[in-house]
Amino acid sequence: MDLVSERLNVDDYDEAVELFYRNRWTDGLPIVLPTRGRVEAMIAASRRDPQQSLGPVPPKGGAATIEKLAINAVMGGCLPEHFPVVIAAMQAMMEPAHNLNGVLQTTHMCVSLVIVNGPNARRLGFNSRDGVFGNGYRANAAVGRAVRLALWNLGGAFPWDTDKSTLSHPGEYAFCIAEEEEDNPWRPLHVERGCPEGSDAVTVFACEGPHSVFCYGTPAEMLHVLTDSMCSLGNNNVHVLGQTLITLNPLNAEEFAKRGWSKDDIRRYLWEHARRRIGDVRACGVVHEQFRQMERDAGRYPHRYDLDNPTTRLPVTPTPDDIHIVVAGGRSYFAAVLPGWGGFGGFAVTRRIEWSS
Amino acid sequence: MEFLSPVWPAATTARPPKKRPVTLAGARVALVDDNLDIPFTTHLETLLTERTGAKVRRLVKPSGTAPSPSSLIDDAAGSDVAVVGIGL
Repeated sequence: MDLVSERLNVDDYDEAVELFYRNRWTDGLPIVLPTRGRVEAMIAASRRDPQQSLGPVPPKGGAATIEKLAINAVMGGCLPEHFPVVIAAMQAMMEPAHNLNGVLQTTHMCVSLVIVNGPNARRLGFNSRDGVFGNGYRANAAVGRAVRLALWNLGGAFPWDTDKSTLSHPGEYAFCIAEEEEDNPWRPLHVERGCPEGSDAVTVFACEGPHSVFCYGTPAEMLHVLTDSMCSLGNNNVHVLGQTLITLNPLNAEEFAKRGWSKDDIRRYLWEHARRRIGDVRACGVVHEQFRQMERDAGRYPHRYDLDNPTTRLPVTPTPDDIHIVVAGGRSYFAAVLPGWGGFGGFAVTRRIEWSS
Repeated sequence: MEFLSPVWPAATTARPPKKRPVTLAGARVALVDDNLDIPFTTHLETLLTERTGAKVRRLVKPSGTAPSPSSLIDDAAGSDVAVVGIGL
């Protein structure tokens, strides 16, 4: 296999890891050493040309070739069968709608979440149940970290340089979940977004970390709590719309479905009710007001919301379809809200996973 | 023990920087408006014009959170000075 990356030699693993730290080729954690054999196995699993490029990774523009992605996937702990998921996630993030350049450098604390769907997610060991946003599962951790390392080494947005995230969140190390599709009464996310039933896909969405929502009871009770959690004045959606993500656990979903609620019904209800009065929003200050006006001037904030009318109640997204709903987690009392970056980007993009066979 | 580098080699050639003008008086200044803080950018435009005598031309980016289109960069590059990266 013809590979073009610089070859480096060290005496042992300890020396290699220290070299990675010195050169800032890692995110702060040790890595799996990208030996030629491991990298070739990764590339072979994709059956792609090693020099095929998915494009330049912002902000510094390093080419996301299959070879470089494979090196970073090895470093993150991926198995070769995980690699097609990494490729699909990178392709999705590099779509213009996601505005990766902005996501990687904004002062906001959003990070691109990778959501894996399809029958192969279970086979590959992705966790979609208890502790889904947490640790303990190689597939979630390795694919999540591989993507972050590829962005780190090819895009080069570092926190001491052009990554201006004020606080960021731990998803910078790895931020990858799978949707629970077996214990789920509804169509999975990727099918809702146009992929065929039974296909595999990833969806990326730039968002804050998961905010816990104590969500249990009847649909009316759950919706009451969810609406309040979605329109907290601190999140960007309240001020500049954009998209948001709701994670319902399988028990929540079952309770909704038993009483005839579809995901679209929930979206419409949340969109109508998760709103803030213009007075509450204005009280946040002139900077918020200025951003809202700029979004309006740029045509990204619908004019149907009369910002001068004191009775106006502002939604958190332009349309109900901008509220994404995923089923994941344990059968318990908690859901999560993950607000987005706002109208600036980070929007959800879905890409099919292309397996080699 | 051999392994492969995860990064691309740093570019070894950089274009030489444009010569800085001695004064801004009469200089053609491209003020690239990031569309993120319009009142601040307007204030800067006023200061540049009134205090230095620069001939300011304001180029507005479609989005403050995405790179400028290449046509805007080429346009700005034709000026004596470009002011970029204005934002919160």
